[in-house]
Amino acid sequence: MSKPRVAIFDFACCEGCQLQIVNLEEDILNLIELVDVVEWREAMSEQSHEYDIAIIEGSITREEDAKRLEVIRSRAKILIALGACATMGGVNKMKNNFDLNEVRECVYGEDGKMAHLHTEMTQAVDEVVEVDFKIPGCPINPAEFAQIIRSLLLGKTPFVPDYPVCVECKAKENICRYEYNEICLGPVTRAGCDAPCPSAGWRCFGCRGMVENPNVEAAQEVMEKYNLTVDDLKQKLVLFNTK
Amino acid sequence: MCNCSNGQKDIYLPELCTITKRRMLNGTELYLHLEKESGEDFDYVPGQFVEVSIAGIGEAPISISSSPTQKGLELVIRNVGSLTKAIHKLEVGDKLGVRGPYGSTYPIEESKGKDLVFICGGIGLVPQRSFIRYALDNRQDYGKITVLIGTKCHDMRLFREEIALWEDRKDMIVRETIDEAHECWNGNVGVVTTLIPKIESDLPTSQVLVCGPPIMYKFVLMALAEADVPESQIYVNLERRMKCGVGKCGHCQMNDQYVCQDGPVFRYSDLALVPEAI
Amino acid sequence: MSVSTVTKEQFKQFVSALVDSDQSVIGIQAKDDKFAFGELNNADDLRLDYDVSILPPKKYVLPQKETLLSFEVGGDSQTVQNTAPAVLIGVHPYDMIAINQMDELFRQGEYDSHYMNRRNNLTIIACDVVTPSKNVFASSMNTTTAESGFDIMLTDIGDAYVVEAATEKGEALVKQMPGAVEATPDAVSKRNAAREKNETALDQHKLDCKPAFLPKLLEKAYEHPIWEEKARLCYSCGSCNQVCPTCYCFDVQDEVEWDMKSGCRYRAWDGCLLQNFATVAGNHNFRQKRADRFRHRLYRKGKYVPGKIDGEIACVGCGRCITACTSKIANPVEIYNALMTETEIG
Repeated sequence: MSKPRVAIFDFACCEGCQLQIVNLEEDILNLIELVDVVEWREAMSEQSHEYDIAIIEGSITREEDAKRLEVIRSRAKILIALGACATMGGVNKMKNNFDLNEVRECVYGEDGKMAHLHTEMTQAVDEVVEVDFKIPGCPINPAEFAQIIRSLLLGKTPFVPDYPVCVECKAKENICRYEYNEICLGPVTRAGCDAPCPSAGWRCFGCRGMVENPNVEAAQEVMEKYNLTVDDLKQKLVLFNTK
Repeated sequence: MCNCSNGQKDIYLPELCTITKRRMLNGTELYLHLEKESGEDFDYVPGQFVEVSIAGIGEAPISISSSPTQKGLELVIRNVGSLTKAIHKLEVGDKLGVRGPYGSTYPIEESKGKDLVFICGGIGLVPQRSFIRYALDNRQDYGKITVLIGTKCHDMRLFREEIALWEDRKDMIVRETIDEAHECWNGNVGVVTTLIPKIESDLPTSQVLVCGPPIMYKFVLMALAEADVPESQIYVNLERRMKCGVGKCGHCQMNDQYVCQDGPVFRYSDLALVPEAI
Repeated sequence: MSVSTVTKEQFKQFVSALVDSDQSVIGIQAKDDKFAFGELNNADDLRLDYDVSILPPKKYVLPQKETLLSFEVGGDSQTVQNTAPAVLIGVHPYDMIAINQMDELFRQGEYDSHYMNRRNNLTIIACDVVTPSKNVFASSMNTTTAESGFDIMLTDIGDAYVVEAATEKGEALVKQMPGAVEATPDAVSKRNAAREKNETALDQHKLDCKPAFLPKLLEKAYEHPIWEEKARLCYSCGSCNQVCPTCYCFDVQDEVEWDMKSGCRYRAWDGCLLQNFATVAGNHNFRQKRADRFRHRLYRKGKYVPGKIDGEIACVGCGRCITACTSKIANPVEIYNALMTETEIG
């Protein structure tokens, strides 16, 4: 059986998720034993129009990007959205909360009027084309990426948890941020990252998106128990969970 | 880490069995016949299940469809997830991991001398077939045997040739129905409960064995109550999420009952204090 | 079996010698302003005055993630057993009782060799509580002292420990303690006084009935509105399950190596509060509602598990779930007490 051909593409993003693939280090060699990487701008110069699996990093913010993505979709048998920007719009999507002209002026000043800086509202990849599989995270967890890729190559639905980060955070015996009356998005955020942020003394930033059935109705009452408000919570949610 | 187990057998360790026959029963259900590599026969009682696995893909509980009166183990596997999809790709001669059998059994002894009524919905026929075949192979031990089979649509019908053979037998009654009318079907149309009033056995003294999708139980049990069947003569064969199969992992628990150990076959009267069951 | 005393300094020397041996030593240590069990590298790090550990010591008999089998993909599997001995120092009585319960649950019916091997390879040096934690209610659960399961029980009596050896393994360890002498009646009475004090002092929450009454109480409480009232705020995050010393539900998954030929089947802690705990293939969820899952945990602790272990209540009053619950709804005492006042039987 010939190896599946894989192409990796990037759109509006920091390319950090691809960097996480590079960060697999010697496991990269294991990966290319299993697949033919035929296009990957961040790591090689070759390009190809023939691939089985397309991995997409980044969100879609321009008309021409949407068209390019549609072409990729038509060529790929399996399309994987990689990282927060691709799976849900990510940090880029925060701008959708504002007037786009204001955002441009705020970021670029006068230069914002230059044509190549023109962008539209941010869309996640699945808002433009059909996505077969999502690998969440900002950035992705390389160990999870590896596990997901191996599962897919085995023909098995990868195990991506639909329970909150709290499960992994508790398993690592971290001290809950709420014990210090700090907002943490762990209780509503999908696990699979192994809780690196709370393990390092930070709160969960919610970069993997919400679990399938988050208890949003509970927010107000629960926040009050910590002398916090829903607005405090919303402020934290906007970073990754702008709809 | 070492690989010894201090002489205690590992309850999670599967035994490889060989696929000796395979065929599709319909578009999604695969029939498998398995034999042990050792040549030994499987030791089980109708109603029990096994944990089936492919190393690397996973493990799942599967009802036994054969009767211990025949050689080998027969399973029917619906293509619903990664594991079952991988099992569907296996050929005769390929191997499957098997643990078990586990769980409670149909009342094969207690039912002797009594009429048996099997009510099967969809793949509920699969485990029921184990007791049906057992009863047919020990025909003199049981009274009248009635089998009611309800299937969602014509294309999903299971064991068609075997059911045709059952229908030809003089010593059992088989009634089949499908939920949705179909041009190739001139039999009964409607849910399986519509067949209950047509049962010829004396229901209040029969053993009634029910297996089907969760939604079916409520209606069948209501119909049986109307027909004055005592709850102690009704047996249900339940499905739950299961991981370990041996009463540890907690997934299959319904109130204080473990489907993997106290079930899958329950006497309905024993479920009076188990509201999560039906 | 023997009851001795050692000075704290002598006990530290004993621990130091253990740490320096090739034996694996696990001890209770500070983790920021809390405490956690971990590999002990220095006897000075041992904190027997701790209040409660973030996770219970069950992680040494039922690890968060544990390999059960190694296999060839699509082929044969082999059992993987952990047989490395370890000494676990600082287990509180309520946690000891929880481990005793799990021992019975993993031993009964089908014998779980993975759990039992870990358990049999563990030498447990338990200790009576010195500092009550902020949510402990062991006094209500009759779990302030433990009678079995440990090899040694330590009680802090000021400048010394009373050391009770309960097994041959324990006796052998006491022999290694420099300066251990038979406990004087005075030391024993100080120990008894410390235990007597704990009988009422570990009581940040007070259960209004005897724990043995809980199964009966729950018989009448299944449809009580409290399940809905509390679970309304439940995030289904499973934190109460994860930190519980008597929760032992697990999930099983397969993982393959990069060679795509070898791999392992492992189990990992699961929790009945999690949304898909009871979801079967085809997506039917047998415990879809938050309130149903919330109720299930309290019934498991107060009624279902007791039915499997001779009526022993499977809540040991450690209070960890109360601390861990973001929504502050998990307190078993609050719930059981509400049922006491509001159901006929109460």
